[in-house]
Amino acid sequence: MQADMADIVGIQGLLGSGSIWYNILGIIVYAVIVMVLLSVFGYTFGWIERKIIARAQYRHGPTYVGKYGFLQNMADLIKLLSKREIRLAQGDNFMVRISVPLMLSLSVFILLLLPFSQSLQATNLGLGLLLVFVTIAFFPMFVFLTGFSTGNKFGDISAQRSVLMLLSYELPMIIVIVTIALATGSYNIQGIVAAQANRWFALVMPLGFIVMFVAMLAEFERPPFDLREADSELIAGWLTDISAPYYALVLFLDYTRMFLGSMIISLLFLGGWLGPSFLPGIAWMLIKATLVALFVIVIRATMFRMRIDRVLHLGWLVLIPLSLINLLITYIVLLWIL
Amino acid sequence: MKIDREQLTSQVDRMKKNGYDYLVKITAVDYSDHVEAIYMLRNLDAGKDESLEVELKNDDLWVPSVMRSYRGADWYERELSEMFGIEIRGRTAERLLLEKWDGANPPLRKDFVWGVQYKAKEE
Amino acid sequence: MAITRINIGPVHPSTHGVLRLVVDLDGDMIERVETHIGFLHRGVEKLVETRMYMQSPAYMEKLDYVAPLSYDEAYVAVVEKALGIEVKERAQYARVILLELQRIASHLLWLGTMCNDLGQMFTVFMWSFKDRDMVLKLLEEASGNRMFYVNVRLGGLQRELPPDFEAQTLEVMDYMEKRTAEYERYIERNPVFMERMKGVGVLSSKDAKDLGVTGPVLRASGVEYDVRKNNPYYVYENLHFSMKSQEKGDNFSRYRVRIMEIKESIRLIREAFGRMPASGDMAGMPIRLRSPEPVNKVSKLSRELPRGECLMYMVADPQKPYRLSIRSPSFINLAALSHIAKGQRLADLFAILGSLDLVMGCVDR
Repeated sequence: MQADMADIVGIQGLLGSGSIWYNILGIIVYAVIVMVLLSVFGYTFGWIERKIIARAQYRHGPTYVGKYGFLQNMADLIKLLSKREIRLAQGDNFMVRISVPLMLSLSVFILLLLPFSQSLQATNLGLGLLLVFVTIAFFPMFVFLTGFSTGNKFGDISAQRSVLMLLSYELPMIIVIVTIALATGSYNIQGIVAAQANRWFALVMPLGFIVMFVAMLAEFERPPFDLREADSELIAGWLTDISAPYYALVLFLDYTRMFLGSMIISLLFLGGWLGPSFLPGIAWMLIKATLVALFVIVIRATMFRMRIDRVLHLGWLVLIPLSLINLLITYIVLLWIL
Repeated sequence: MKIDREQLTSQVDRMKKNGYDYLVKITAVDYSDHVEAIYMLRNLDAGKDESLEVELKNDDLWVPSVMRSYRGADWYERELSEMFGIEIRGRTAERLLLEKWDGANPPLRKDFVWGVQYKAKEE
Repeated sequence: MAITRINIGPVHPSTHGVLRLVVDLDGDMIERVETHIGFLHRGVEKLVETRMYMQSPAYMEKLDYVAPLSYDEAYVAVVEKALGIEVKERAQYARVILLELQRIASHLLWLGTMCNDLGQMFTVFMWSFKDRDMVLKLLEEASGNRMFYVNVRLGGLQRELPPDFEAQTLEVMDYMEKRTAEYERYIERNPVFMERMKGVGVLSSKDAKDLGVTGPVLRASGVEYDVRKNNPYYVYENLHFSMKSQEKGDNFSRYRVRIMEIKESIRLIREAFGRMPASGDMAGMPIRLRSPEPVNKVSKLSRELPRGECLMYMVADPQKPYRLSIRSPSFINLAALSHIAKGQRLADLFAILGSLDLVMGCVDR
């Protein structure tokens, strides 16, 4: 099942193997490609979200700037970037300033670990999947850091909620990953996708798929789990005291994280780039990610926000048992039936 | 029904026992020569309303609190004391209900004339 | 446990205006809520004393900007009582129809903001806003204004209802009936909504009486008192009005009471159109500088507004009110907040606040 290392082009493959300078150039070129993909998809998801939610509410959404308002987000971005930065009297300004850009760099880092197709990946690590999820677990920590260092009580409550949610959602997620690794025999993402050649894992382990999807929603602050920036309760939670340029980054980060989440879901459960051969693998990958993101957006348009105690209840008493059952079923099927 | 200030609490208690368990409103009217505090009570089951009117002299403005009988009297009493300058005895109001204002006289009294600029009270 | 004290408002997304709350939190639990009001205090009670009788309805409408017509009507009605003016029968029906339309509009707006407070992304809010707009259009047809109508005159209305008003209204009512069922289907099947509404913010019937809450909040706690039923005015006696109440007194009961009231209002409007005398006059007295001499020195009158019972207490002088005291429903419902919210979670505070249906203009006067 192990993906053949020789097939993977990666950084070397872009420019052909050669001296170290070629490698460094390859890294830079690939990082630029990833950054562009992330920006384009993050931006487009932002536009799609505004449009879809507007249609769900009898509105039109942005219409004036650009065709169908496509450039509205760009205009908003420019407006936010041109605003002045507020220095907090009681907060730790340094922490606030570094943590948001760090979160953005984390998402780029994760994207470098994810393959877009069989040949397009920065580096194919044997424990790639583990590293991805270890990195994802840093997001709530940075939310905590930002919320705590703004010195605002709303940020404070938001930071506490962030840690509580981290505790309740990491565990089921890790259990599902273990199950996947059990089924494929590796933590290598290439290998995991290759193992889905016959049938997707979403069909093999539907329970695991549901658990992972819910946990991802919670992890990336999508409704109904947007308790950290619950606007009707905590104003904006950890973002209450963030000044405009950083807020623009956070908005962008929201959409890039949505892209990341849908990428991970489609890689692990929807067969990644596998699909009929009339389209290249990367196209299938992006189509699947977009469909997952659309579903996430529709959830945002319809759901009410959950309460923190119910979220913990769901995490500990529903998702963890479900993921364990999923593990058990997979193990039994692997051991005795296959 | 006109009653004396001294009988107010006992009368309210008695009426509450007789089924008037709902306080509609406490308000007051400044008749220049005296101030009248009005307690409107209601018997919800029978659908009957009853008003208790307490006449207060201008230089002796206080009423006993009816908070003991109706918890809903809290805000009405505070409003009364802020708007009419009627002292409510037998309870503590930890702070002003409506926000602080810088005028000198209670605004709903007749010696407060609409449109006149009042000097801020000295702190 | 250490107590965290947080300040909410006066500018906050879900305080429905300028309300300030100081909340003491023990972990996620609310220990104490301190309510600060008065940011919107305009001294209307004093202002009215300086104006002629029919100059004031416009001020009354600004008290409750979500259901302006109801306040307008309550004020004109107390003036009518003081001046001893009878309302023409046809005008009574027309007033009932307009008041019920206003109730539907107000409850629809409440539904939207309630869902927003529960963290919905404005979806239900926009839906109900669209539907409310249809009702507002009807009221505009009848009065000429979209928000502030000022079309209640002594003894009647400003003018006759437009000729096709009945057909238009009935059409909108049919639509509204379908939509209400749709809201119920959408909202009550949502597990998160039910989880956050059921059993949250319970107000027992004993406490409800003791705290003096009113309107849907009182009826949701199982106390059956509706001015339209217990102390009927106009033609509510003739219409087969049935009071809506619930037992439990939680957020969900308050939601149910309001949804059922929308349905009841739709039914009432239909019935009122059926019973309205075809001929007759509904125009009231035009606004003149001099109004008739008052016949009652002190007049008192209750009206069931969308938010609860409004009691107008007026001491009359010739031409001007000597004193007008308004018992506003939001004021006393807000006073109960600190009692209801005690021991609840922080997130539920906003659900409770939403379920009380407050308008800060009405609280502060």
